[in-house]
Amino acid sequence: MTGRHVTAGRLARTAGVLAVALAVSIAAAVAIGPVHVSLTQALARADSPDYAILFRTRLPRVLLAGVVGGSLASAGAALQALLGNPLACPHLLGISGGAAVAGVFALIAGADPVSPLVPLAAFGGALGAIAIVGLGSRAGGRTTPHAVLLVGVVFNALAAAALMLLNAIVSYTQAQGVLFWIMGSLSTQSYALIAGVTAYSLVGIAWLMTRTHELNLLAAGEEGALQLGVDVERTRRTVFVAASLLVGAAVSVSGMIGFVGLIVPHLLRLALGPDHRIVVPASFLGGAAFLVWADTLARTALAPVELPVGVVTALAGGPFFLFLLRRHLRRAVR
Amino acid sequence: MVLAACAAPPAIPPGPPGRVVSLAPSVTEIVYALGVGDRLVGVCAQCDEPAAASLPRVGGYLAPSVEATLALRPALVIVVPSPGNREAVRAIERAGVRVLVVQDRTLNDLWASIRDVSAALGVEPAGATLAAELQHRLDDVHARIAGRPRPRVLAVVGHRPLVAVGPGTLQDDLIAIAGGENVMADAGGPWPALSLEVVVARAPDVIVDASMGTEAGLHELFDHLETIPAVRAGRVVRLADADAFLRAGPRVPTAAAALASLFHPSVPATAAMTPATS
Amino acid sequence: MTAVLAAESVSFAYGDAAVLHAVDVAVAPGEIVGVIGPNGSGKTTLVRVLSGTVAPAAGIVRLDGVPLASFRRRERARRLAVVPQDPVLDFPFTALEVVLMGRAPYLGTLGFPRARDLEIARDAMARLDVGALEDRPLDRVSGGERQRVLLARALAQEARVLLLDEPTTHLDLRHQAGMHDVVRALARERGVAVVSVLHDLNLAALYCDRLVLLAGGRVVRAGTPGDVLTADVLRAAFTTEVYVGVHPVTGGPVVLPRATV
Repeated sequence: MTGRHVTAGRLARTAGVLAVALAVSIAAAVAIGPVHVSLTQALARADSPDYAILFRTRLPRVLLAGVVGGSLASAGAALQALLGNPLACPHLLGISGGAAVAGVFALIAGADPVSPLVPLAAFGGALGAIAIVGLGSRAGGRTTPHAVLLVGVVFNALAAAALMLLNAIVSYTQAQGVLFWIMGSLSTQSYALIAGVTAYSLVGIAWLMTRTHELNLLAAGEEGALQLGVDVERTRRTVFVAASLLVGAAVSVSGMIGFVGLIVPHLLRLALGPDHRIVVPASFLGGAAFLVWADTLARTALAPVELPVGVVTALAGGPFFLFLLRRHLRRAVR
Repeated sequence: MVLAACAAPPAIPPGPPGRVVSLAPSVTEIVYALGVGDRLVGVCAQCDEPAAASLPRVGGYLAPSVEATLALRPALVIVVPSPGNREAVRAIERAGVRVLVVQDRTLNDLWASIRDVSAALGVEPAGATLAAELQHRLDDVHARIAGRPRPRVLAVVGHRPLVAVGPGTLQDDLIAIAGGENVMADAGGPWPALSLEVVVARAPDVIVDASMGTEAGLHELFDHLETIPAVRAGRVVRLADADAFLRAGPRVPTAAAALASLFHPSVPATAAMTPATS
Repeated sequence: MTAVLAAESVSFAYGDAAVLHAVDVAVAPGEIVGVIGPNGSGKTTLVRVLSGTVAPAAGIVRLDGVPLASFRRRERARRLAVVPQDPVLDFPFTALEVVLMGRAPYLGTLGFPRARDLEIARDAMARLDVGALEDRPLDRVSGGERQRVLLARALAQEARVLLLDEPTTHLDLRHQAGMHDVVRALARERGVAVVSVLHDLNLAALYCDRLVLLAGGRVVRAGTPGDVLTADVLRAAFTTEVYVGVHPVTGGPVVLPRATV
C-alpha cells in the first residue's frame, strides 16, 4: 500500500483530471447561452452574428470567469490555511473592500465603468489595503493569524461603510456603477485583459505553491513547524501577500464575487484531503470551473435578463455554507 | 430644542403651502414649470435646475437629510420614492410635515405628478396647462414620424452592468412616441441587465446611451461587434441631455424630439419640437 | 564527554515576569537528561530556549559547540528535534503524512518524499508501534497514539538531539514504558542526546542518566537521580512531604507522596 500521502504523481494526476473538467466546462459554457448560436455558421463566416456572439462576447467572458474563479478559490484556500479557519473567505480581510472603494472613487471622478482606469484604480486600492492590513497586524515583528483576522475584519467594515457612504452621495445612475462592485460582473471583450490577468494569476499561484508544503507543516502546529525549520513569519507574510494580490486583481476586474473562495476550497479539501500542495492548485482549477458554470447560469437562467454573477454564487453557496457551518459546529462540540 | 421641533406638529397654515421642499430633480423641474418655483425653500443635492442654484440643499435624492429638511420648516415636502429614502420620508412625516409622494416610472406617472403637485400647490389651472402643452408637443413629435418604418432601438442606462430600458417605463413610452421599436420590450422588468450576446442577437439599428459613462466607454463597450447594425452604421449615440430622457419632468418632449431625430434623421426638426418656455 | 547541546546561564522573561534565571543544562551524546520540577518552574520555557524557538534574554545555547542562533533553520532542524506537548491539530492529516513532515528539513520546496524518506518514516512508526495507523487521520486517534506519532515524526528527523516536553502524559502504562524504552534505545544505540521534561519522578528516576531539578526558574539541584531525589531536596522544591524509598530491582530512588492526614 502506498498510503494516502501526496506525491508529485498524485498532484499531476489530480491536476490533470481537474484541468480536463475545466476544459469541458469552458467548451460547454461557450455553447450555452440565452441566445441560440450555430457553431458551423460562426466558423464559416467571421462576420456573422454567431461568430461575434461566440468569440467576441461568450468566450472572453467564460475565460475571465475561469481565471477570476481560480484566483479567488486558490487565494481562499491559502487564506483559510493562514488563518487556521476552514470557513474563512478571501473577502474577509478587506482587500476586496479596498479595491471596491478605490474603484468607486474612479467612477465618481468620471471614469467610464468599462475603461481600464477603473480596474487599475481598484488594484491600487487593493495594494493599499494589503499594506494597511499587513502592517497593521504586525506586532513585535510577528504577524499572527489572530491579528491579521482582526485588522482585516475592521478594515473590511470600514470599507463597507465607505461604500455605503459613497452610494448615498452619488447620483442614481452612478449608483448602478457601485452595484458592479457589490454584485460582480464578468462581462468583457478584451482578450488583452484576460491574457494579462491570467499571466498575473499564474505567477501568483506559482508563488503560493512554493509555500504549500510549509502551510502543511504550519497546520500541524506553529511550534512544530518552527522546529522543523520553517520560517513561520516569512511564510505567513508571503502567503498573505500572494493571496491578497490574487484577490485584489480578481476583484479589480470583476467586482466582489462571493462564496467561490469559501466553498470551492472547502469542498476540495473534503474530497482530496488537507494537503495544501493538492488543495491550492485543485482550488484554482475547481474554482475556475465553478465560476464558469455560475456565470453560465447567470446568463441563461432568466434570459434575456442577466443575473449578477454574485447572486448565483450566493444562492449556490449560501445554503451550502450553512450546511458546512452546522457540520463544523457539530464536530467542534464533539 | 431638536426634541421640541420633533414633538409638536406645526400647524398647517391655510392656503397653498408657501414653504416647499423638493426631494427629487424631476419634482423641482415640475414646480418651476408650474411657475411657482419661488415657493421652494430647499431642494435635493441632485436638483440641477438652474433657477434653483441658490437654494439650500437638503441631502441626496437617495438619502435626504431629515434634519436639513425639517430645519427649513417646510409646509410641504414632495418626494419620489427611491431605494433608500423611505426611512427619511417616514421620519419627516412623523415630525408632522405634510408629505406628497409622486411616482416617476411611466408617462402616466408624469401626468399624475403634474396633477398632484399643482393641486397641492393650489395652481391646478397651471398644471392643466402644463400637462396639455407637454402632451401637445409629444403628439407633435409623434405626428412628424408617424407612418415611417420604425428602427430597432436599444436604450442603455448603464455600462457595467449593461442595463437597458425595458417595458413599462417612461423611457419605453418615449421611444415609442419617437417612432422606435424597443428591442427589449419583452424583458421581464423595467431595467433589464443584459449580456452582450443578447444585444448582438437583437441587432438594434440604433443604440442610445443615457448612462453616466463616457463616449469612449460607450464605443469600447460595443467594440468589434460590427454585426450589430447600429455599430456598423455608426448609430451608437450618447444622448446630449440624458436627464431629460431619464426624468419624469417637463423636458420629456425635448427628449422625445431628440430621439426622433436620432431614429429618423431624414425628418427635419421643427419649432414645435423645441420647448416653448424654458 | 563534551556536550552536544548546552544552555549556559540562560535567563528568560515573558514581559516583566522572569521565568528562567541563569540556568545551566548540558547533555552529551547518548545521555538522557530529565528536567523535573513543580508546575510553573519554567520547564516548558527551558525546552523552548533549548530548541531555539525563543532566544534567551541572557546567556547562550550552544549546539555542537556553536551558538544555536547561528544555525540556519533547516540545518538546526536536521540536528535537533522537538516533541512538543500535545498540540491541537486542525486539519486531518494522516499519521504517515504527519511523520513524513519530519523529513521536511531534508526535502525540497514542495517536500515530496522519496523512497528513502518513506522508509525512514515507516521505520520510525514501527518503532513507536503506530504503523497500523498509517492512513488514519490524526483527529481520529487517541491522545496517546497522537503522542507516539509525534515522537515518530521527531525520529524521522534523524536528529542527534531530541527534546521531549512531557511525552507520556496521555499514555497508558504499557505505552509509557514503551516510549521511554524507544527513547533509551535511541540514546544507547545511536548516541542521540535526549533532554526530557517529565512530570513523573519515578519514570525520571528509571530512565534518566541525570536529572535537573527546576524550581522558580532556577536550577535547584542537578546530578544523578540518587543525588537529586532526596526527601529534603524534594520537600524544598515541591513544598510537600514525600517519602523516598529504594527501588527493589534497580536500587535507585522511588518517590512516593506522603499523606498529611
